[in-house]
Amino acid sequence: MFVMDRKKYKQLRVVVALFVSAIVALAVIGNSYLLSIAGVLTGIVFMALVRAKAKIRTDEREATIQEKAARMTYAIFAPTIGIGAVLMLIPTQSGLSVFSKGEFAYLESLGMVFAYLTLFLIAIYAISYHFLNRKYGGGGDEE
Amino acid sequence: MKNKLKVHRAMHDLTQEQLADKIGVSRQTVIAIESDKYLPSLGLAFKIARFFKVTIEDIFAYEGEKDEN
Repeated sequence: MFVMDRKKYKQLRVVVALFVSAIVALAVIGNSYLLSIAGVLTGIVFMALVRAKAKIRTDEREATIQEKAARMTYAIFAPTIGIGAVLMLIPTQSGLSVFSKGEFAYLESLGMVFAYLTLFLIAIYAISYHFLNRKYGGGGDEE
Repeated sequence: MKNKLKVHRAMHDLTQEQLADKIGVSRQTVIAIESDKYLPSLGLAFKIARFFKVTIEDIFAYEGEKDEN
């Protein structure tokens, strides 16, 4: 096992992503689904091997930034799509709004997608919070 | 939290890059710690103190409630 810093890992990831994109582009031009699947699978397997064989040294400041960015993303995204779902569903459910008719009828479906997406997001947050809480010593009754 | 990382680094005649390599972080992290923009974890604080063969208190000074955010 060799040590690789996060910067080198990111560079490698970009190279692999470029390689996979090129293969997929060629596959699209050549109308070959098999080639595109092979390209994507090769990329996934290669990155999995790199992660398994190399110890990727993460910078703690970068990890802190990622945590804060993830928290901020959740804090903004969840209410936004939640409110979006309500705004799309209420007028269409009541049937009063112009948005419930004609060319805007698709808004109800979009509202449903948003609502399920919000639930999914909250569920993932709750489940991951539960497991991380247990991992880091919370939730136990022992003294 | 105030720190004397820059002073200790200068005493050991190290560049930010060299110190970053020795303690296993990026140069940006060293810069952020030196300019009091980032509080290192307890583990990293110990690593830094052990690298310079001093105690944590020799490098980092806790300044009370304003450090707790």
